[in-house]
Amino acid sequence: MNVGMQTVAAARPGLGAQIFSMIRKDLLLEWRSRSRLVSLLLFGVVTLVLFSFAADADTARLRASAAGFLVIALLLSSTLALSESFRLERENSGIEGLLLLPADPIALFYGKALSSTLLLALLAPILAPIAIVLYSLNSSVGGLLAMLGIWALAAAGLAAPGTLYAAMTSRLQSRDVLLPILLFPLVVPVLLATVKALTLILNGDAMGQLRPWTLFLLSFDILHWSLGGILFSYVCEEA
Amino acid sequence: MNVQNPQRFAPCNGSMGPAPSDAWKVSLPFPAAERRDMPFVDSEPRPRVVEARDLGRRFGSTWALAHVDLVVPRGQTVLLMGANGSGKTTLLRLLAGIYRATTGSLSVLGRALPAERMECRRHLSLVDHESYLYGRLTALETLRMWARFLGKQPSESALLELLAEVGLAEQRNAPADGFSAGMRKRLSLARTRLEQPQLLLLDEPMSALDGDGRRIVSSWIEECQQNGHTILMASHDIERVAPMCNRAVLLRQGQVAWDGKATEVVGNRVVGG
Amino acid sequence: MNSKAVTAVGALGLAMLLVGSTIGLFVAPAERHMGDVQRIMYVHVPSAWAALLCFTAAFGLAIASLWSAKPRYDALMVGTIETGVVFNALLLAQGMIWGHAAWGVWWDWDVRLTTSLVMLLLFAGVLGLRSFVDDTERRAAWSGAATIIAFVDVPLVYFCVRWWRSLHQIQSSPETVDRAMTLPLRINAIALLLMAIWWTVFRARLAMARRQEETVSQPARIRVAERYEHA
Repeated sequence: MNVGMQTVAAARPGLGAQIFSMIRKDLLLEWRSRSRLVSLLLFGVVTLVLFSFAADADTARLRASAAGFLVIALLLSSTLALSESFRLERENSGIEGLLLLPADPIALFYGKALSSTLLLALLAPILAPIAIVLYSLNSSVGGLLAMLGIWALAAAGLAAPGTLYAAMTSRLQSRDVLLPILLFPLVVPVLLATVKALTLILNGDAMGQLRPWTLFLLSFDILHWSLGGILFSYVCEEA
Repeated sequence: MNVQNPQRFAPCNGSMGPAPSDAWKVSLPFPAAERRDMPFVDSEPRPRVVEARDLGRRFGSTWALAHVDLVVPRGQTVLLMGANGSGKTTLLRLLAGIYRATTGSLSVLGRALPAERMECRRHLSLVDHESYLYGRLTALETLRMWARFLGKQPSESALLELLAEVGLAEQRNAPADGFSAGMRKRLSLARTRLEQPQLLLLDEPMSALDGDGRRIVSSWIEECQQNGHTILMASHDIERVAPMCNRAVLLRQGQVAWDGKATEVVGNRVVGG
Repeated sequence: MNSKAVTAVGALGLAMLLVGSTIGLFVAPAERHMGDVQRIMYVHVPSAWAALLCFTAAFGLAIASLWSAKPRYDALMVGTIETGVVFNALLLAQGMIWGHAAWGVWWDWDVRLTTSLVMLLLFAGVLGLRSFVDDTERRAAWSGAATIIAFVDVPLVYFCVRWWRSLHQIQSSPETVDRAMTLPLRINAIALLLMAIWWTVFRARLAMARRQEETVSQPARIRVAERYEHA
């Protein structure tokens, strides 16, 4: 019989270890479906290109709205990523399976939200240079790094409520419509703050406004990450 | 809508699921005279692993389970019988704490559900219709992930040994997407080995398995019984499974219709569902 | 509350709205800069108060509903959200009318206008979510969670829109108001509050009735042939 298993003491993994296991599992799954990642990225690029057509390829106008276009591209990609990630969970009742092990629902929420954040944040290093080229932006290396930082905060702001809502809507027939309807109004503060912050980075920050906007984004993240952790167990009946 | 007559088994509500199949017509209960010699009460009662009182669960407008009173002492192996849609799966999922009861109270392994479901789940294992597999993970990766969530660090060789035990050694690096129903079943059965539960909940453990697979399950069930663990299993394959059980419960439209010795089920050649 | 009391509350509200609006339209003096257009404030401001009050109540009821899982709280929560959404829509329409008179455009990305638009979308989203969920318990839990999130988000929206617009315009500080102007405002505020209670109770009753219709009582207990516990 499986002697090896019995000799190992089964100490329950802590919350941190479970979150880590969840992220590991999610990233492995994402890696296995790399083609999906590529299409997500392509979707973002296509969106960026289309915006230039919408703005009549006017360099001055493009430059002024570049931050907004980038953030909208992120937002649109995020709903795709979130609903796809939960479709994988639903397919074979993955979440129920993990809860039976038993994994803590709090760990599942934070694991899922963190891996979604990571995934969305990874779009930035690729989309930002493309936007810089397409919209003829001037950005220093420091500016680019600051953009990535803001982007990561924005990704976190989308991922927490997005995970919660995707967990609900993934079970419904009309999930593809419902997720944006619920999520987009909710993340208006993230959009505004990110657009503002990115614009300030790109077009200069004469009045020192970047700091308050970053702090605002951070407080949105903190609020929604804590709310999500509390509410997730109510959303999964089985949790 | 005859609520007064408790002996009427017919649906008391028009919306209660599909029309009964022929399985409903099986003549139960058995004559009481045949069962007089049976000991109904133990001299010393054992701890109760499952204690359900008036348990009910509604999905939308259908009661999948209603008025279920079920007490299972430790060490018992209970066979759940019943036609499709009679509530076997719902009952097992309620016991595992994946569903919450709409009515009634439930305690499993001495802990009240759903309040202490996390603690409960640590000591039980459910093999379900759902395989709980991620299609893109390989058999070995799946086992490794489960072990990690369980807080165990089995060596690679221990995991391979387990895979060999369920007959999946050759497919260890194949993604579960390509598995047949039987192979998926084998892999989900391997999970119960990792969990080493005190209460084993099996939903159709024999279905989709070949002779070899069924022998594995039988030997595991035997091993569990020797360790004094409790087993509840739902099955349609009564001829094969009943000899392993010491108690049988027939569910009919979500309610317990008959509750007796498993040997009687085989003796009477009853096919409950 | 019994039906008669609720109807009485509603009738009183309607009567007060009539009185308040009459005073506002014909008795109160016209405002110095805006003229008669300003009189829309006598329903506009009370609408805003009523909508905010409804959503605040919905937030409290959502917590109660999640905590206790009692259908009553869920039904009341739906009632308050539906009433709140109606007042919110009225608020937006009145705001646009006011904006057209004051700024010459139907829509301006004004802080309050923008916030109330987002608020409307948030709570309408909750109602949308509800309509897609069949299972009653799940519907209650999900819309409770969504309501809490939506409500917590509203102040964030308000502040970020305010900062976003801070470079473009400066908030006007309230001028001293004539007493003849505050009276109709107060009467209408109470009137709309009473009407909100009236509608909420009606909608909550409807939600309870719908739930009743959906839920089927448990089937009668069948007799167990044998009862056997110990092996």
